Amino acid sequence: MDLENTKAQMRKGILEYCILSILSRSSCYASDIIKELKDAKVIVVEGTLYPLLTRQKNAGLLSYRWEESPQGPPRKYYELTKEGKDYLTDLDESWNELVESVNLIRTR
Amino acid sequence: MKITLSVNLGGYSFNIDEDAYSELKRYLKNLELHFAEEESSSEILSDIESRIAELFRPKLTSYKQVITIDDVNNVISVLGTPEDISDNERTSAKDKFSSPGYHRMYRDPDHRMIGGVCSGMGAYWNMDPWIVRLIFVVATMLGGLGVLIYLILYIVLPEARTTAQKIEMKGEPVNIHNIKDSVKKEFDTVRKNMNL
Repeated sequence: MDLENTKAQMRKGILEYCILSILSRSSCYASDIIKELKDAKVIVVEGTLYPLLTRQKNAGLLSYRWEESPQGPPRKYYELTKEGKDYLTDLDESWNELVESVNLIRTR
Repeated sequence: MKITLSVNLGGYSFNIDEDAYSELKRYLKNLELHFAEEESSSEILSDIESRIAELFRPKLTSYKQVITIDDVNNVISVLGTPEDISDNERTSAKDKFSSPGYHRMYRDPDHRMIGGVCSGMGAYWNMDPWIVRLIFVVATMLGGLGVLIYLILYIVLPEARTTAQKIEMKGEPVNIHNIKDSVKKEFDTVRKNMNL
């Protein structure tokens, strides 16, 4: 058993959920999302985010639009689709269940 | 004294030291290979390029106008090497590279007129898709069989989505060299479409 590997697996599982949660508050561009994920210590390397965003977009959970930026080229702003919101509601529920289950076992 | 090069990253122009350039190029090539199996690999790569540009910009001042090897190494540690990024749950891309070249028929979405059936068959047999289309048109006029066959093939044949599938469609072995060429072609198309 490799501790670092186990930790990385745990983080990976919740990363998708965290991205959707961040986007449920407002539309963001990738660097905003990265900043939040880094502050919350959910990601270690930034490169992890980009394939996930593209996969979620391809799955219809996210959409994006190009927005002019005061400094430099236009930025890609992501937002949740209707499907993404429903998906997130399901994940919210299952997250609460998970926390409850783990707490139940840990406090026994 | 060092030679510098000028590169375009996500719409920004950067002067970059020669050694820093080779390191950055190597890094981007590795990422290309890593994401070659993804459906939208070129999109992921252009997103990452934009991010690199964003990380480079604050490193430049009026006293330091060139991107150095340290800047590149710093960006690589922030973004992560393909090994750092790789998802453990996915099969490693390396397994695919060692497999022999499959030759499978796919629908070719890049050169399609209707559903990509004829362009896919053309790519499979290495002939002009217009010859295949002509055969279908003739078969349709001689009793309407062409339409039926077309519909069946449309349902049966999968669409070539990933870079590896597009290479398999042409019957070339799926190896690093081919994937590299193919990804580069796709990358250039996306660039052109986005006017970057």
